Order: sequence, then C-alpha cells, then structure tokens
Amino acid sequence: MLSVLNGLNSLTLASLEVGHHFYWQLGNLKVHGQVFLTSWFVIGLLVVASLLATRNIQRIPSGIQNFMEYALEFIRDLAKNQLGEKDYRPWVPFIGTLFLFIFVSNWSGALIPWKLLRLPEGELAAPTNDINTTVALALLTSLAYFYAGFSKRGLGYFKKYIEPTPILLPIAILEDFTKPLSLSFRLFGNILADELVVAVLVLLVPLFVPLPVMALGLFTSAIQALVFATLAAAYIHEAMEGHGGEEHEDHSH
Amino acid sequence: MFDFDATLPLMAVQFLLLAVLLNAIFYKPLTKVLDDRDNYIRTNEAQARERLSKAEMLAKQYEEQLANARRQSQNLIAIAQDDARKIGATKIAEAQKEAQAQREQAQSEIDRQKQEAMQRLEEQVDSLSRQILEKLLGPELVNR
Repeated sequence: MLSVLNGLNSLTLASLEVGHHFYWQLGNLKVHGQVFLTSWFVIGLLVVASLLATRNIQRIPSGIQNFMEYALEFIRDLAKNQLGEKDYRPWVPFIGTLFLFIFVSNWSGALIPWKLLRLPEGELAAPTNDINTTVALALLTSLAYFYAGFSKRGLGYFKKYIEPTPILLPIAILEDFTKPLSLSFRLFGNILADELVVAVLVLLVPLFVPLPVMALGLFTSAIQALVFATLAAAYIHEAMEGHGGEEHEDHSH
Repeated sequence: MFDFDATLPLMAVQFLLLAVLLNAIFYKPLTKVLDDRDNYIRTNEAQARERLSKAEMLAKQYEEQLANARRQSQNLIAIAQDDARKIGATKIAEAQKEAQAQREQAQSEIDRQKQEAMQRLEEQVDSLSRQILEKLLGPELVNR
C-alpha cells in the first residue's frame, strides 16, 4: 500500500508520506523532529490555556476559566468513575494529562493543516501518529499501574498473578505486555489510519468529499483520547484493587 | 513506520514534565477553586436551610399568635355584643316603664280634670236649671 501511495506522490497535488521523518541528531541519538515540533505546539497550547485559566481565578468562573474548569471536571469524573471516590485524586494529573495531551494532539492533527508547513524531510502531523509517542505513553501507563499496585499493596501486588488460580499465571503475565501493546497500537493505528484515509480521499477527490471523513476523524480522535485515558485509569484501578473479592469488599462500604 | 529511537524516552520524559507542569499550573489551582466553591456552596446552603427553617418557625409562631388574637377579638366582640344587647334591653324596659308611668300620670290627670269639670258642671247645673226655671216660670214662682 505504501509503495502505491509513494508512487502517487510524484504526480498529484496532495502528498502522503509514511515512514519519512525529519531527523534530528542529538549526540549519537536520532529523534523525530516533526513529532517534537508538534508536541511542543500541543504542550504550549495546554500551558497557555492553563495559565490563562488560572491567571485571574474567580469564584464565579467565566470565559477560559469556565472552559478549563469544565475540562477539569470532565477529567475528575473520568478518574473518579474508574478509580473510585477514595483514590482518584492523586491520579488526576496523570490521567488528565494523558487525556488532554492525546486529545489536543489528535485534534491538532485533524484541524490544523500542518502539511502546509514544509519541512526538509517528512511532514508535520499529530504527535500521536508516531509510534514512539504512543508507545511512550503506553509504557508510562504500565509504569503507573505497577507503581500504583506496589504503593498500595506492597509485594502483595504479585498475588494478583496467581490470585484466582495459578493456572492463569502465564496469561496474567502476558496481560502486562498486551496492555501497553494494545494501548499504543490502538491509538497509533486509529490516528494514522484516519490521517491516511483523509489523505487518500484528498488525493482522489480534492474538494468536499473528504469533509465527512474529516468530521468522523475528529470524532474518533476524541474517542481515542477518551479510551486511552479511561483504560489507563481502569488499569491503575485494577492494580490497586486486585481481582475479584477485594473489589467487592471495597465497594460494599 | 515502526522505527523506534530516542524519540520514545524523550517523549516519555517530556510527557512526565508536562504532567508535573500542568499539575502545578492547572490541576492544583483549579481543583482548589472547585473544592473551595463546593465548600462555599455547601456552607451557604446549610446556612440558607437553617435560615429557612428559622423563618418557617417564626411564620408558624406568628400564625399561632394571629389565630390567638383572632380568637380573642371574636370573644371580645361576642362579649361586647352581649353587653350591648343587655344594655339595650334594660334601656328599652326602662323607657317602656317610664312611658307607662307617664301615660298613667296623664290618665289620672285627665280623670281628675274630668272629675273637676263634671263637678263644676254639676254645680252649674243647679244654678242654670234655677235660672231656666226662673226664666220660664218667673222668679216669684220659683222662689216661693
């Protein structure tokens, strides 16, 4: 598929590049410059919005403060639903930043015509359409839930591997690998596929026809951010509560 | 498409820094605002509820007082009406008695005057009849 797309590149208006990167050399490390450029834009947007919202805090919110409070309440509800009233507060920054970063990244990729800014090599796009970003976020989520489990239950955390029955031990261990894998590939795949579909449609029919797909892309982008944050919260909750019995015990009081 | 390189750890570090930064400039201050507002609303609501119950109690008290006052006033009116009726009755009775007395007095006066008149008339009857006789028969005959 990629070769076909690359073949089309040379003779059409819109171009489509996958696997071409704008490399920066740091010492003897290579990094994808375009990912960092857009992620800095996203980070800058979040920081500016936060600063504007908290610059002049009122009891009766208005404007940007109101909007950011709405965002914060959304994130708090998300964390509260997954982690429960008692434990959710310390995890709000992590889960909230996951959601905000992914959401703003996805939407910046869908809404801002990055491709108009020419780079020497590769092209600007949402940071989340680079596998490095999504794997980084997914691995952080894994670390977060390990940390949550250990800090909450100490070495008793390992009991969850043999808890219902030791027979499931391989599957329980496998789970720790599939979780970050599925998280990262779901996000990466969705965002990349969305951008590819839009790009291909733009290649074929430049005007208007891609619009519904772009709208759908906005929708899936938002859903993917929500899914990533919700799953991260759910994994953290699972690590803190363990399977089965304890959970019911905890919910009963 | 799947080339992993230093982007991954750097992105992770960058993300953690972002989380820490946003915690300082976004989550903490706004969470504090939300909690403060919740507290403010909760205390205000409690105060308002307290005041409402107080006001309701006061209203009930006033209503009771009002009912009492109304009952008392009705009692007073009833008593006053009773008194007025009694006074009126005695006044009427007195007036009737007085009228009766006056009538009787007038009656007796009339009777007395009638008596007097009759007496005087009778006295005059004698002299008049004598005069008539004298006129008819002549004084010599009469005074014989």
